[in-house]
Amino acid sequence: MKIAVCIKQVPSTNEVSMDPVTNTIIRDSRQSVTNPFDTYALEQAVQLKEKLGGEVIAISMGIPGTERLLRDAESRGADRAVLLTDREFAGADTLATSYTLALGIKQLGDVDLILCGKMAVDGDTAQIGPELAEQLGIPHATDVCEILEADPQKIVCRKNTDWGTMVLRIQLPALLTVSKDINLPRLPSIPGVLFGLTAPFEIKDANKLEAEPGRIGLTGSPTQVVSTYVMQRRSEAQSIEGEPGTQAEKIKKLIKELL
Amino acid sequence: MRNRLIKPLDQDYTEYLRDESRATGSAESISFPKSPSDVISIVQEMNNKGIPITIQGARTGLAAGAVPYGGHILNLSGMDRILGMRCSHEGRFYVTCEAGVVLSRLNKIIESRKFSTASWNSVSKAALQEFANAEEQFFSPDPTETSATIGGMVANNASGARSYLYGSTRDHVTALRVVLCNGETLLLRRGDIFARGRRISLKTEQANNIDAQLPSYIMPKTKNAAGYYIEDDMDAIDLFIGSGGTLGIITEIELELLTKPKVIWGVNCCFEEEKCAIDFVQAARTKMKNIAALEFYDGSSLEVLRRQKAENPAFSKLRTVDNRISSVIYVELHCENEECAIDNLNEIAAQMQISGAKKEDTSVARTESDRDSLYFFRHAIPESVNMLIDQRKKDNPIIRKLAADMSVPDRYLSDIMEMYRFTLEKNNLESAIWGHVGDNHLHVNILPKSTVDYEKGKALYQKWSSEVSKYGGAVSAEHGIGKLKTDQLALMYGAEHIEEMRKLKAAFDPRGLLCPGNLFTMEGDGGK
Repeated sequence: MKIAVCIKQVPSTNEVSMDPVTNTIIRDSRQSVTNPFDTYALEQAVQLKEKLGGEVIAISMGIPGTERLLRDAESRGADRAVLLTDREFAGADTLATSYTLALGIKQLGDVDLILCGKMAVDGDTAQIGPELAEQLGIPHATDVCEILEADPQKIVCRKNTDWGTMVLRIQLPALLTVSKDINLPRLPSIPGVLFGLTAPFEIKDANKLEAEPGRIGLTGSPTQVVSTYVMQRRSEAQSIEGEPGTQAEKIKKLIKELL
Repeated sequence: MRNRLIKPLDQDYTEYLRDESRATGSAESISFPKSPSDVISIVQEMNNKGIPITIQGARTGLAAGAVPYGGHILNLSGMDRILGMRCSHEGRFYVTCEAGVVLSRLNKIIESRKFSTASWNSVSKAALQEFANAEEQFFSPDPTETSATIGGMVANNASGARSYLYGSTRDHVTALRVVLCNGETLLLRRGDIFARGRRISLKTEQANNIDAQLPSYIMPKTKNAAGYYIEDDMDAIDLFIGSGGTLGIITEIELELLTKPKVIWGVNCCFEEEKCAIDFVQAARTKMKNIAALEFYDGSSLEVLRRQKAENPAFSKLRTVDNRISSVIYVELHCENEECAIDNLNEIAAQMQISGAKKEDTSVARTESDRDSLYFFRHAIPESVNMLIDQRKKDNPIIRKLAADMSVPDRYLSDIMEMYRFTLEKNNLESAIWGHVGDNHLHVNILPKSTVDYEKGKALYQKWSSEVSKYGGAVSAEHGIGKLKTDQLALMYGAEHIEEMRKLKAAFDPRGLLCPGNLFTMEGDGGK
């Protein structure tokens, strides 16, 4: 089974720097980590490979510094990695990103399964997985919390829904986005870390991907970020005195005010 | 007139009768001073009335040092300001804080470089400018309980996993302000005042002299938190560090910061045989120079974790290891660059193979979240053991955890492991062993299932104290003597040296009012 895992570089803290012109995050490879949800996707891919055989390929669209994170994915069980990087990709929204990733994945050949984290912790859109599946014309399931059965033809999985869980049978090739319930990502072993240093690693730019210039980067992005800000959390405590009945009334009033 | 800061010990304050050791004491009053002058006024009043004082920080100690034996509780947690900073000509940074500053908060402030500077003088503000542009700094002592106060850490000479490389709190304290039992104060700067042989002479800030004879014992050449730090010609500041609050009340501390290494990687190395793990430790510490921490978890500890993960949803994300694994060694590498860290990984792999283990049985944490998962693994062991004991205590209230905290010189590591294993097996006692194996300092926890087990365990604990003393080790390497290990300290040094310690205390505190019961019992108190 050939499995592609999408990896995104995200800031390691909430204190991010924003580009004042494009209102997008200034990405700095020193202060970045793998999107936590993607680590669960990678672990699932490695577990499926261990069970069914095949190959795991980590793929990312990002700045050149993302190589560090892709090599980390290789240390944790990916066999090779591909980085899609080009100044022309900068400022991409989810549509332009999923278009670019789709071009990269098509060039990998016959991929049976694509695994993504259910969302990235910086943009929080949860759109890349489904959009990528649409770009590739394959079925997808989001928020998958358990793989029940897997073989080269199909996957049976459980996904979280607002009202419980749903069990789905999906013909391959397909795309799944996964939640943190699905596994516990492993740490690399020493041989794993050493493999990551020299493992196969390929860089592709817009030319290599034969991307249409109008569909990539800021130009290819119908979504423009007008403004962004970091949420300021406020917490305060109040002591509510009185008899239980009076206290309950006061609590009810407070909740109403907040709603 | 009664001091308004002194409150009767009513039911609102009963939690202050306990500390993390789970021992409970008694007291008549409590205070929460906010400033050194508050401390002085309270101490003077207690001194006038002859009322004993127990000093408290965050009460995270494990030897009941903060548990009161009657009298007054002086809780310093409200003295939590960071007072300033200086930068030496060599570019080293020093932070001055009050005793009640909590370690986790201090670490966060240093990391974020965000200090409240409203009350700082111009020297401190200038140093902060330098600090803002300097390489990342850190305060290296890392006890498991990061809610400890700095004052408590100094009084106990706390250490942690990284003390293997950086030493204990003592090694990073450069100045102290101490309030004595009569309200006079001492300012002690490292390098200023030294003993002459075993005599020490200090002058208070109020210009009174204190002369004292230091005990004549030779301290163990191991990690040691047992009794007063005593050496020929010693720096006076070292006498107060680790003195368990028995000589004076530490109100202000200056700490030295270190430049944080650029690369910090943690590695859990798994072994099928405990002997191989110990062989690995002995090889690693002679051959590798970048190890900051060298920790050990035995098979029983790993089993406790497996059970915890299976039964307790709060531990569902705990990483456990295969059943075939009998021991884990955690190695933390502190390096200047990744090339150095990779060289160290190769050395670990080579040494594991020489010791009969497989390099594949390793987990390398190179990111903060991965390191956190290994720390979670480490911290879950004592937490799970405590939960197990609490459960057993419900059925039999007599049962308590018996936790050894002893260290020996390097050459006796294998001997001490064999002694623990042999005697535990002979007495048919359940145990879990973990801790700072790099310093030959293991927390051997006896887990009694019955009153008989508990009594057997207590006897064994005394036997180990004698044996460890014979090996030239320390009966407490980290947790301190407090009130729970005074018998062990007596075993380690003998009655004559305990008497010398009493005399030393009397030179500073003639009526034995400060932290009575810590380190040793005072004459005539009935040995309570």
